[in-house]
Amino acid sequence: MPWQAEIDELHRRRALAEACGGPEAVARHHAQGKLTVRERINALVDAGTFREVGKLAGKGTYDSGGQLTGFEPAPYVMGIAKINGRPLAIGGEDYTIRAGTGFGSDRRKGGQGGFIEDLAFQYRIPLVNLIDGTGGSVNTAKRKGYTVVPGYGQDGMERSADLLGVVPVVSAVMGTTAGGPAMRAILSHWSIMVKGTGHLFAAGPPVVERAFGQRLSKEDLGGTAVAVDRAGTIDNVASSEADCFAQIRRFMSYMPQNVWNLPPQLDVGDPVDRCEAALASIVPRADRQAYNMRTLLGMIVDRDSWFEIQPGFGRAIITALARLNGKVVGIIASNPMVGGIMDVKAARKQGHFTELCDMFNIPLLLFADVPGLMVGLESEAAAILREGVRARFIGFQVSVPVITVIIRKCYGVAGGGFTDRGGLNFKIAWPSAQWGSLPVEGGVKAAYKREIASAPDPVARERELEAELRALASPFRTAEAFAVEDIIDPRETRPYLCQFIDACQDRLATQLGPKLRAGVRP
Amino acid sequence: MARIEVKSEITGTVWQIKMQAGDTVASGDTLIVIESMKMEIPVIAEEGGTLVEILVQEKDPVAEGQVVAILEE
Repeated sequence: MPWQAEIDELHRRRALAEACGGPEAVARHHAQGKLTVRERINALVDAGTFREVGKLAGKGTYDSGGQLTGFEPAPYVMGIAKINGRPLAIGGEDYTIRAGTGFGSDRRKGGQGGFIEDLAFQYRIPLVNLIDGTGGSVNTAKRKGYTVVPGYGQDGMERSADLLGVVPVVSAVMGTTAGGPAMRAILSHWSIMVKGTGHLFAAGPPVVERAFGQRLSKEDLGGTAVAVDRAGTIDNVASSEADCFAQIRRFMSYMPQNVWNLPPQLDVGDPVDRCEAALASIVPRADRQAYNMRTLLGMIVDRDSWFEIQPGFGRAIITALARLNGKVVGIIASNPMVGGIMDVKAARKQGHFTELCDMFNIPLLLFADVPGLMVGLESEAAAILREGVRARFIGFQVSVPVITVIIRKCYGVAGGGFTDRGGLNFKIAWPSAQWGSLPVEGGVKAAYKREIASAPDPVARERELEAELRALASPFRTAEAFAVEDIIDPRETRPYLCQFIDACQDRLATQLGPKLRAGVRP
Repeated sequence: MARIEVKSEITGTVWQIKMQAGDTVASGDTLIVIESMKMEIPVIAEEGGTLVEILVQEKDPVAEGQVVAILEE
């Protein structure tokens, strides 16, 4: 073999790369409950499918005879692999090498605008970022001999932004993350953070302490309780790295390869005509009493097909991916267990999820039990009207079919957000449904103020007026006027929706491709 | 015997206590009803067990995430 020496050299260099930051750094990393980046990739993707690209990149040191004496691998590992049998691009920082900061090559391997992002863009395959890096370092100036304006040279964030319009992008926050990698995490369709080891912030505890004299731990400042549940900056929480990989595989199972393809169908053999008797009694007659919307929806969608997005943030709204007769649907539902009133967080969550489903041609099912927008000074000061109207504006622009199911309340500006004004405006209701500009109680007081005040018995007159209006509020009167398209037996909900979701597949198949949106969001 | 903390989903006021210490609780049972935003929000046991203690009284204010009852599996 004429090239034996070179082939041996190649394998030697590959082995050097596989040592990551050396045995001590790897042991420290493992001791924190973290896998190395290659271990992570192999644990996530289909067994034996990871083909690494750029393993030889790094910094070699040589003796005077030109022999390699040492090698520090590039702190980023990437390549292609398969998840659920479908190809994807995948990469992540190697935290064991200088905390995963850049290594100064002319072309980046990954992170914003690296080779792996170009690959995902050019091949139109999904991208998964396993993020465990702290971004730029002041040492960069030492290496270059000058400082740079943010966005200079190979910033690459524009490629990360391009990707959001063409292929599914997932980010997992698996370590302490700030700066560029933090930005990279957010430029995704769905993100997840590992509880305990994942942190995300604009700047870490030492910077905060210098600025405000406030001493906080990394967990206090950017752990899952803040970054996921309070801020909604990251979508979901994983209890461990293994759970993180399971959730990524799950999310990917609902996604098409790109915007030119439909999401994959998965028939689990759940009969379309399954009508759960409990649906007829799940909504209490007393409209002050809450019920579990998740239990309700679980009885309608295909068995084991429920995957919630942002379960801990903006809890007045539930957003989930699921399947009906094997086809992927996006579900937006009010959550009466926390009152169901739309606050700024719930509005943000609804708008984002609407856009996600529209981008990937996933039809939307809206289950309404919403008394209105959150009132009060705090809510007004948090811009509830702007956020609420923005959620509706996003809804006006969708091109996927939308079906509204009114379970109970559907009132006001927030209630309007559960209808498809931009499309068919197809609404079906359960017999428990009620709707209007605002609820009869309180509404009567406002509209008939003078009449009530001048009556001999104001309290009795108010009751009378309420009873009169409540009689008109029967959903059957609205159905008579065809102002709601149908009222259905709650038990029929699954077969009814399955048939319409089946019927809209041709529409979805004939509108594929990138979606450009005009206008300025409020 | 695993100790299970049952938390309130929401900020509000305790409206009704539905069960007492020593009661056998099944998954899905309502332990307490919280009044919030003019709604009655049940605090539901996710797992079954024996009710060890209810940590609040009627009319008490409760915060989101506050532990309101202890169960033992």
